[in-house]
Amino acid sequence: MLARALAAALAAATLAYPASAQDAYVIGVTGALTGPAAGTNGPPIEGLRLYVDRLNAAGGINGKKIQLTVLDDQGEPSKAAANAKRLLTQDNVSLLVLSSLSSTFAPVIAETRRANVALMLMGAVCPKEVYPPADLLQFCTTAYAGGYDSRATLAFIKETAKEPVRIGFAAMAIPLSRGEIDYAEEQAKAMGMTPVDKEVIPPSTADYTPFATKLKDANPNWIFSWAPWVTQVKTFEALRRLGWEGDYITWAHIEAESELARLKDGKFYVIGANSLFQDNLPIHKQIIEEAKKANIRYPAEQMTEGWIGGLVLEAVLKAGGWPADAAKIRAAMENVKVDTQGLRGGAIEWSKDNHFRTRQYYRVYRWDPAKSAVAVTKDWVAYDVK
Amino acid sequence: MQLIVNITVLAAIYALLACGYVLIYRVSRVMNMAHGELAMLGAYLLYTTASLFTDHPVGAIAAALVLSLTVGVLVYVALMRKMTGQMVLAAILTTIAIGILLRGVIVLIWSAAQQHPLQALKFSNPSIELIGGARISTCAALMVLATVAVYTALFVFLRFGRWGMRLRAAGQNPLLAAQRGINLNAIYALAWALSTLTGSIAGMLIALDSGLDQTMVVIGLKAFAPALVGGLDSLLGALVGAVIVASAEVLAIHYVDPLLSDVVPFLVLIAALIVRPWGLFGTREELDRV
Amino acid sequence: MSRSPRASGYFRTSYDQDLALVQTRLERTSLGVFIAALLAFPLIASPFQLDLACQVFLASIGALSLMLLTGYAGQISLGHAGLLAAGAFTVGILFRETNAPFWITLPAAAAVGGLLGIIFGLPSLRLRGLYLAVSTLALHFVVIYLGGEYEARRGFSTGIVVDPPKLGGVSITDARAWYFILLGAAAATLLVCLNLLRARTGRAWRALRTRETVAEALGIGVASYKLLAFVISSAVTAVAGALFAYYRGFVSVEAFSLFLTIQYLAMVIIGGMGSLLGALLGAIFVTLFPYIIEIGLLALPGAQRHASLLFAVNYAAFGLVMILFLMFEPLGLVGMWRRMQNYFLLWPFKHRRAGGSRG
Repeated sequence: MLARALAAALAAATLAYPASAQDAYVIGVTGALTGPAAGTNGPPIEGLRLYVDRLNAAGGINGKKIQLTVLDDQGEPSKAAANAKRLLTQDNVSLLVLSSLSSTFAPVIAETRRANVALMLMGAVCPKEVYPPADLLQFCTTAYAGGYDSRATLAFIKETAKEPVRIGFAAMAIPLSRGEIDYAEEQAKAMGMTPVDKEVIPPSTADYTPFATKLKDANPNWIFSWAPWVTQVKTFEALRRLGWEGDYITWAHIEAESELARLKDGKFYVIGANSLFQDNLPIHKQIIEEAKKANIRYPAEQMTEGWIGGLVLEAVLKAGGWPADAAKIRAAMENVKVDTQGLRGGAIEWSKDNHFRTRQYYRVYRWDPAKSAVAVTKDWVAYDVK
Repeated sequence: MQLIVNITVLAAIYALLACGYVLIYRVSRVMNMAHGELAMLGAYLLYTTASLFTDHPVGAIAAALVLSLTVGVLVYVALMRKMTGQMVLAAILTTIAIGILLRGVIVLIWSAAQQHPLQALKFSNPSIELIGGARISTCAALMVLATVAVYTALFVFLRFGRWGMRLRAAGQNPLLAAQRGINLNAIYALAWALSTLTGSIAGMLIALDSGLDQTMVVIGLKAFAPALVGGLDSLLGALVGAVIVASAEVLAIHYVDPLLSDVVPFLVLIAALIVRPWGLFGTREELDRV
Repeated sequence: MSRSPRASGYFRTSYDQDLALVQTRLERTSLGVFIAALLAFPLIASPFQLDLACQVFLASIGALSLMLLTGYAGQISLGHAGLLAAGAFTVGILFRETNAPFWITLPAAAAVGGLLGIIFGLPSLRLRGLYLAVSTLALHFVVIYLGGEYEARRGFSTGIVVDPPKLGGVSITDARAWYFILLGAAAATLLVCLNLLRARTGRAWRALRTRETVAEALGIGVASYKLLAFVISSAVTAVAGALFAYYRGFVSVEAFSLFLTIQYLAMVIIGGMGSLLGALLGAIFVTLFPYIIEIGLLALPGAQRHASLLFAVNYAAFGLVMILFLMFEPLGLVGMWRRMQNYFLLWPFKHRRAGGSRG
């Protein structure tokens, strides 16, 4: 019985999966399409799909189509590991794309090492390994990245604040967010600011007011939060409800644009590496149009991350030529420069020892009450990545 | 002062969610692990009705309440009715499975993106200044009021209402109740409907106050602790349990370590289970119906 | 072991025969074929299939240990994921802090599991049923909190990476090697469980489950046997967690969510309470089922275009199938299996003879 069930299941698994088409680039994607992280990690995958469909409709790359195989890992490490194994060993993908919670990184990286296939992180936070000297197999197109984000934010605060800065911090109780906020606290001290309070908030919080009360009681004039959007914005809203009137700066996740318009608060800043759709660049119009055509389930302005991933993918595959195996694609990734067409402050450039980008650009937006619109508060500032 | 307000609001959230656990447990001895999902579904229903009846917020809210009541009845009639008389563990697992199903269905219909029913209703949520400089948001105040209203209504209903009496009878001894001509299926369906309704009210108010996303499930799970601390078959217990757990949580955040807020409800729970396993106000019963 | 008599007249004539695990020639041959199939499987399987098989073995160990506790001793635990986490973190922490090899970390994991078993089990002396379940759930959160604190304090923000175990200087990374290791571990667990259940301990547990008062009157030390059930089950579970850590090469709290506990509970209930075979069938079913629906759905034309919709369906389908199973097959997979067996045994008749001797 055991054997029969197992054999039947495995036979089904093999039969339903025909050997991947030999005349297409086979790219695997694993990401959190369902589960608690889906709101953040789903849209980038949708954006990538949008871009690849457009490419394929236009005849593909080097005359070959791209076959994108997407699997859902629900943000669970074990599921992500199994997905990676399946994509790498059964579908023989020549590049793996990951858009999921950071807890899935370790197992997926382990699988890509075993298969010696490059891993591109897109829409999921960039791990330290992509900074110089970069890990052989890990690449990252995601906007946000530990360390640089805090530095850029604190520099902005220092520049904008008119009086001595008493700074408060809010993190989510996940290791990544906590680590970054701890780093920011140290940096702030070194820059002559006074850290007054740091709240680490569990993801499953029913009411943010108790945390906000503590922050407010410490009486900061600035607060910095680097966490998933839920924590960032709910803490802010709770603070405002308590009557706190200071400046609040936070990372511009994909939800930022619609949220700025919803909150309409002149002292709520978002810092990010992606341009918002209010800029109305040609590329933005194009994305909106494509999203409408494909009937995407998420707002068009959340497609940026995926679109950038698509741009990079296109450049890499073009350089990789045909036929392209995993090794060739990996080699192509080490020497690529992608024009982001205004979606970012500048190009994404990867080299042998830098798999992040040689320059990271930051921009700050906020709601401008006078104009009653989202406006750029501080234009692109570039940081060299060394 | 603000501390007291914070405790009150959190206690109201917990109490409103916990009474749903109590209602169902009281009549059928089943722990409804899908309560968080049902509350979330209620909030999503409100979001949809709010987008449908854009000019009639009251109509939208009423429609959402009626819908959530219907969902409760449907869950019982279509799924849980078959589970009465089965192993309690199997029944609990069924509710877990219902929860998983609902989560999938919600992502399918509304996608995983964060939603804001408050905007769809075109309400605003200004905060109210209380004595002593403390502040409370309108929705949070509504939450407290709703909790008071729901509990008062439930007390009156269970004490004096004809159906309320039947509900208690069915909880005490289903066999005798059935022999006295009480329609057990109707009673169970009623319990599920009321439980889903109160849970949905909580879900809607949380969503109005701070937005709607997938995290609400976990909040539902946390409300489980107060219900047990107070005693699973006592409404008064749920209320007291909610106050105790909320106080412990808020005080731990304020004076000890904010990180503890996730664990504190369960630590209180362990303490309560060691001292009075059947809860503060629960009936001491033979607890091995498994 | 109570076994149903065969259709043909097989009568035991000595105590040795009654004690033997494998009794008839048919059993021997089918077991032989089954083992041969298991041993030959890695030769033909793809790495992904091997991975699935390894997942099934890991799940089997966990499901067997939960079955001992819940299905036989009648103690409900919602702390299963917490125990798995405890085992995995023991490996992770020992490896990171002291670089200990596996022959230290595995026993250490078992010891930690046993110790936690006592802690998890203490409430059982006072609580029963639902209340016990909830108190173990509370302990789950405590274990996860501690693990999370360790990760955050030591800066392992994306999880603790564990190197593969070394045997005589060679790292075990090969998928086939892992297949045999986990197969061996699962088989060993099965044997331990089988023998425990045939012995005094197993009989005491069953008595406990049926009625505690009677068990006590029979002279069974209720408290000590309850604790023993918790200790053994927890130790085995922790070892499963430790094996998981080595197999996947990482440990992080996110891998041990409440959902994992639910999956294990689903294994024992869908498999069929009070049966080791049920635990195995449940482990196979719950592990493979999501992949099977996923494959089925992905085979639909144009599936990839609507991936985000599709996976929401997949997620919901798992819940739906679980509901259907619970509603229409309360005896679980084992019930189905027994019915099938009876069908062939009784063929061409449809029913057993009413009353009197069976078979």
